[in-house]
Amino acid sequence: MSNWPAETKVIGQSTPRIDGAVKVTGKARYSSDIQAVGWLYGMILRSKWPAAKISSVNLDKARQIPGIKAAVPVRDGAFTIRYYGEEIAAVCGTSKQACLDALRAIEVVADVKHEFVVNEREALKENSARVWDSGPNAPANPRPRENGNVDKAFSECDAVIEGFYSTPVQIHNPMETMGNTVSWTEEGLTAWSSTQGISSVRDGLAGALKLDHSKVRVITEYMGGGFGAKFGAGVEGVLAAKLSKEAKAPVRLMLTRFDQALAVGNRPSSFQKIKIGAKADGTLHAFEGENYGTAGIGAGGDSGGGGGGADIPMPYIYKVPNTRVKQSEVAVNAGAARAFRAPGHPPGSYGMESAMDDLAAKLGMDPLELRLKNDPHPIRQREYKLGAEKFGWREKYKKPGSSPGVVKTGIGCAGAAWPAGGGDRGTQGDAQINPDGTIEFRLGVQDIGTGTRTVIAVVAAELLGLKPEQITVRVGDTNFPPGPGSGGSTTAASVSPAVFDICQKALAQLQTQSGLADARGENWFAACKKLGVSPLVVHGQWQPNLSADRACGVQFAEVEVDTETGLVTLKKVVAVHDCGLIIDKLTLESQINGGVIMGMGYALYEERVMDDLSGVMLNPNFETYKLPGIADVPDIEVVLINMPERGVIGIGEPATVPTAGAIANAVFNAIGVRVGSLPITPAKILAALGKVPPAVSA
Amino acid sequence: MKSFQYATVHSTASARELVADKGAYLAGGNDLLGLLKEYLISADTLVNIKSLPGLNKIEHGRNVWTIGSLVTVAQIENDADIKKTFPGLHEAAADVASQQIRNVATVGGNLAQHSRCWYFRHRDTQCLKKNGDLCYARNGENRYHSLFTGNSCISPVVSSLATIFTSLDATAIVLRDGKETRMSMAELYQRAWENPLAHNSLSNTDLILRVEIPTTRSRSAYLQASDKHAFDWALVSCAAATTIEGGKLKSPRVTLGSISPVPHQVEAANSFLDGKVLDDATATHAADLILKDAKPLEHNAYKVPLAHALIRRTLLKLKGEV
Repeated sequence: MSNWPAETKVIGQSTPRIDGAVKVTGKARYSSDIQAVGWLYGMILRSKWPAAKISSVNLDKARQIPGIKAAVPVRDGAFTIRYYGEEIAAVCGTSKQACLDALRAIEVVADVKHEFVVNEREALKENSARVWDSGPNAPANPRPRENGNVDKAFSECDAVIEGFYSTPVQIHNPMETMGNTVSWTEEGLTAWSSTQGISSVRDGLAGALKLDHSKVRVITEYMGGGFGAKFGAGVEGVLAAKLSKEAKAPVRLMLTRFDQALAVGNRPSSFQKIKIGAKADGTLHAFEGENYGTAGIGAGGDSGGGGGGADIPMPYIYKVPNTRVKQSEVAVNAGAARAFRAPGHPPGSYGMESAMDDLAAKLGMDPLELRLKNDPHPIRQREYKLGAEKFGWREKYKKPGSSPGVVKTGIGCAGAAWPAGGGDRGTQGDAQINPDGTIEFRLGVQDIGTGTRTVIAVVAAELLGLKPEQITVRVGDTNFPPGPGSGGSTTAASVSPAVFDICQKALAQLQTQSGLADARGENWFAACKKLGVSPLVVHGQWQPNLSADRACGVQFAEVEVDTETGLVTLKKVVAVHDCGLIIDKLTLESQINGGVIMGMGYALYEERVMDDLSGVMLNPNFETYKLPGIADVPDIEVVLINMPERGVIGIGEPATVPTAGAIANAVFNAIGVRVGSLPITPAKILAALGKVPPAVSA
Repeated sequence: MKSFQYATVHSTASARELVADKGAYLAGGNDLLGLLKEYLISADTLVNIKSLPGLNKIEHGRNVWTIGSLVTVAQIENDADIKKTFPGLHEAAADVASQQIRNVATVGGNLAQHSRCWYFRHRDTQCLKKNGDLCYARNGENRYHSLFTGNSCISPVVSSLATIFTSLDATAIVLRDGKETRMSMAELYQRAWENPLAHNSLSNTDLILRVEIPTTRSRSAYLQASDKHAFDWALVSCAAATTIEGGKLKSPRVTLGSISPVPHQVEAANSFLDGKVLDDATATHAADLILKDAKPLEHNAYKVPLAHALIRRTLLKLKGEV
């Protein structure tokens, strides 16, 4: 049982963001809004070749462009380029145009290599170009993992299916691109970073620039999303710092959308071959999974809150007594992967949940029944039952492909597990209570956009008997007591217990100093007044028995598929989620809405397209890297299970895990054939329906 | 982008003089500014033509309607008379990009816009359309490309208005060498069929002044299919226009967009439909005729069944419940 109060007044309610007004009125200063005195624009020159040996970078002509104040190479001496878009040099100046002109004036002497490979299947071939000189693109013998006796088990099954399911590389595209404003002077370095980890950026910059930690301060007042890509300062942060030092002025270097698409992280692809077998009653008995995917030139060093590797959990949330899993990663000449909202899980869920529905069809079973039969987790069992009722599963379900007419309807569901989501034990914070009753919390955490300030205010208001708007919250500064990186869905579970501890200590101290038996609520101002002239400052930290990890979650999707145009319309999603004690229902629902929309983009629209011949990414923009728009977004119904006894658990990641699997299954249910590849585009629907003629050779 | 002079003109004569060989006309700027910013084209002078008199009006004649080239796509979309008289034109306008883009995009700009081929639009590929040696799309990523072409470039025309204007038999009035020249939609795009460097038949100084639409065809319809539900390019678009007399089609026209460098019409299909009663079978046969010579490539063959469906649906829409 958790130590949270049994009865709550503020916790669990729908509290609007305490910083909502400043955000919608434009008063909130995001990293890309920072205008330090005398600041300069910074920009990066990127490789236009997918593979090259750079022997020299001459910046002299760039420095002579009017308005240019500094230019720096990404490294001294010769170096190797391994993908299109890799950084070569950077410039800063008084206008964007000056920087653009300067980038074009940089002279790069390069030995351009024509041997490169940008697509996974090509990279696996024996005669493929090598991304790294040191060895082949993929390990020769993938690591196999076997439990039980798989071959024997398959022969004991009554139904066996084999399927191939693939997912594309998904690009990190937060609303605010990556970037920093950096001021590096004799006194030290200040970075206004768009980051989800101010401490990790501070440590990273200090390490890269050989500075004492005490000389580096990172500030992130507001930032526009990170999703796993923004734990480090990145190459762009280090370049901004070097430019600032050389130019003796603050440098703002925010990436463009084009930059963002190439070099700062993505979700690895997956190519999953899955074989499952079950007994006649649906009990899973044997599983064999082979998967490979690409993390580009490798998993990025900036992954922070989770791996950026290509492995996925198999057989995902199910326990199968006999399993064999082989996974490998293949390198290609493309930007490296980074942690991406629930690394490994959306592709893991999509592949396994697709296979489950294919198996259900073979068994002639309702796929929800197959899940209830096999899902070992009691919380998901509850969620499936609750969700099925809200969604109307039993009324809506019909056999795959049995929907009549040209526009067919279908439904599907899928489940999620997220192994993290618990708190960071190192989280600390301060509160200053003034004699006039005002109170300010200072935590060295950042608000990645999920409403961390509001979570802190809600917890404090609850424990102090105040209203959330009476609490001032300051976050996003490494001068405050240290907080966690916002990754692994840990933030709420980290700060809530720390604030709990601060409040308990504040109340105890106030009681002592004021002589009042209870300083909360209506006694608050009287108690504070007794402080006299000195504010009370208390320090607190994360405490046990207030948070937990491992959230579940299931989602149901309903689609319409136009079998003549191939267009999939997502009509409805019911998202059933648990995350322990609900702190703020409103920001929680927002995160789930966002997770569903992101999952929808993964299912239907998003895909990095690489060109074999030129080695470039063809869609580094929102015109052809397609994201869901408001006209695409369905009716989303969020159903929450409040479990105060578990304490606080993060929700950010599980919310996006099952969406793609549920949508893919709904499409299968509608048209009766499997589109085994994301995104599910009109072209793939028409192909699956056997309507596409062969190509005519030119 | 490279630096340029900027001038606002009040007469077509000065527009032409200022644009000369190396300038560019600027109206809505949606296409032009993107091309300049990506260094895909350069212009020494941007000639703002938005103040040219008389070009932002929709005029209703008895036999011909005139739409000025500075009329915005939103103006067309919101014009109740157009919706009644040329419903297909209303539908085509409403499907263009987003509301914000429609608010500034002009008829002239929509017709004259450049290719969206992602090899052409990419800053670091040197394709045929940019004087390079080869079409990367032909054996590469060609999911958005043409089923028909008269040259080795396979980037399709993407103007939705051109698709419907072709079916409505509209004429573009182009100021060329100081004279008003009348061009059918086929003529307006002819050069793109033949020449990979061209995306229409206009020279640098040519200026579209207006479009004339005959009221001959009382029924029209437009449909497009995209990957997404809004703010996305058409994978295929289809426009049809006709008159129905005594239950039979009279002078029908069917046009496809996004599958050829020019608005795609097949005369055999139009003449087959002429005088026919519109039903599933005739619509299907017309679609067969229109797509008969399609040359699908590795990734765009899906456009064949997609176009087939759109042709049938657009034609059947003409029956309407009017």
